[in-house]
Amino acid sequence: MKRNTIIITVAMILTTGLLIASCVSTKVTDKSGSQLWSENCQRCHNTPPSSAFTNTQWEVINTHMRQRAMLTEDEVKKITEFMQAGE
Amino acid sequence: MKKKILIQFAGLLLLSATAFSQQFNQEYIDSLIKSSAQSQVARTSKFAIVGYTSVSAKFNKEDGAAFNNLVFNPILLWQPHKNIVIEAEMETEIEGSETKIDMGYANASFFLNKYLTVRTGKFISPFGIFQDRLHPSWINKLPTVPVGTGEDALGVGPTSEIGIDFRGGIPLGSAKMNYSIFFANGAQLITDPTDPGKQGTLTYGNAETINKKLTGGGRVGFLPLSNSSLEVGFSYRNGNVGDKNSAYKFIGSQMYALDLTYVKQLDFIKGMFDVKAQWNKVNVDKAEYIDPGDPTGNTLYTFENKRSSFFTQAAYRPSMSQSKFLKKTELVFRYAGFNPPTGAKGLEEIKQYTYGINYWFTWRTAFKAAYQSQKDNNAFFLQVAVGF
Repeated sequence: MKRNTIIITVAMILTTGLLIASCVSTKVTDKSGSQLWSENCQRCHNTPPSSAFTNTQWEVINTHMRQRAMLTEDEVKKITEFMQAGE
Repeated sequence: MKKKILIQFAGLLLLSATAFSQQFNQEYIDSLIKSSAQSQVARTSKFAIVGYTSVSAKFNKEDGAAFNNLVFNPILLWQPHKNIVIEAEMETEIEGSETKIDMGYANASFFLNKYLTVRTGKFISPFGIFQDRLHPSWINKLPTVPVGTGEDALGVGPTSEIGIDFRGGIPLGSAKMNYSIFFANGAQLITDPTDPGKQGTLTYGNAETINKKLTGGGRVGFLPLSNSSLEVGFSYRNGNVGDKNSAYKFIGSQMYALDLTYVKQLDFIKGMFDVKAQWNKVNVDKAEYIDPGDPTGNTLYTFENKRSSFFTQAAYRPSMSQSKFLKKTELVFRYAGFNPPTGAKGLEEIKQYTYGINYWFTWRTAFKAAYQSQKDNNAFFLQVAVGF
């Protein structure tokens, strides 16, 4: 029992360390549209290419996603501009 | 002669003035029509129809093979103003010999400030992550849903609400959090003895006053890592569930859920690693139900109405592979379970293991194959799912 607890604790510490090490600390407000697009879409589904919808459709869809994915106004604005730029 | 010239000149002036005024009026009218038409076009063109469709086939020993499920769920989006969006999903499904049509959700969202959105109408319950984010077939990585996440006798937790929801995201330096707090119509306790397995379960998304009080709940999510790859969430929902005109009117329920999401492309495994997990618990106050085993309907029985369910899912896609085929292939494993209330009739514990392989033709079109192992109910599934 004691041995299992030690193994689980060590595994949790290693996992936490790995997760933290895999990040480069950037303020959310400083992130680019490209970075926000990549990080936020893939949490639920594959990331869509900009060619998937027209500029007007992106505006509507991203406003809808602001509500569904609980994104901030700034995040949605940057993602929409990135998608509309067609990069 | 002089008089004639003056009259001709005056006539010419009058004619020019008339022509000018006509032209001016025409331009003015044209501009009015154009501006009106433009605003009309702008207003009506901020529409989008999105959604998803899928067809599934099931193979097992008892029933053989059949294309057993067809889903077509269009979602209408309309943005009449930069701070308002309206969304409505129509769910159409053919399962077995039945065609079901339902309103998945229909609500209006108002973006009050950078961090607060108010939505009202029918919306997916912000309880955990499966219903709220993962259930559409083009997003769900397996052709089946985990036991305990539907609105059937095995469902543990709400699927939809009719009410008002306050939600948003807040940056916390390099971390982030999100929240959703709602007030909605209460769930309804099922007491009918004709379907023993459903006694003590709840139905959600009712457009009527089941009880005199509204139900309240919500979810808080925390994304501690600066790349937003990890999210942990806690959900809670509390309210009365008994019919206000029945002996069950004081029966209440408390629901809890914990969820976890981790999605990241990791260099050392050369691909996308995707983990999702959720645990649900629903406690309903103790009540007496008509014993389904007694044909006279005079015998009552009771049980501790506490049920729980969970799922953990891991997926790996070698997205950094040189091979075009491997890049689009994904392996998925899910372990799910359902724990029924002790002493409830017609229910038993379920453990479910699902092994899947997907091929993504595009970012929103997948072919899925999966084998699901469950006590006395093993089956093989195929599905084609398309988001649009």
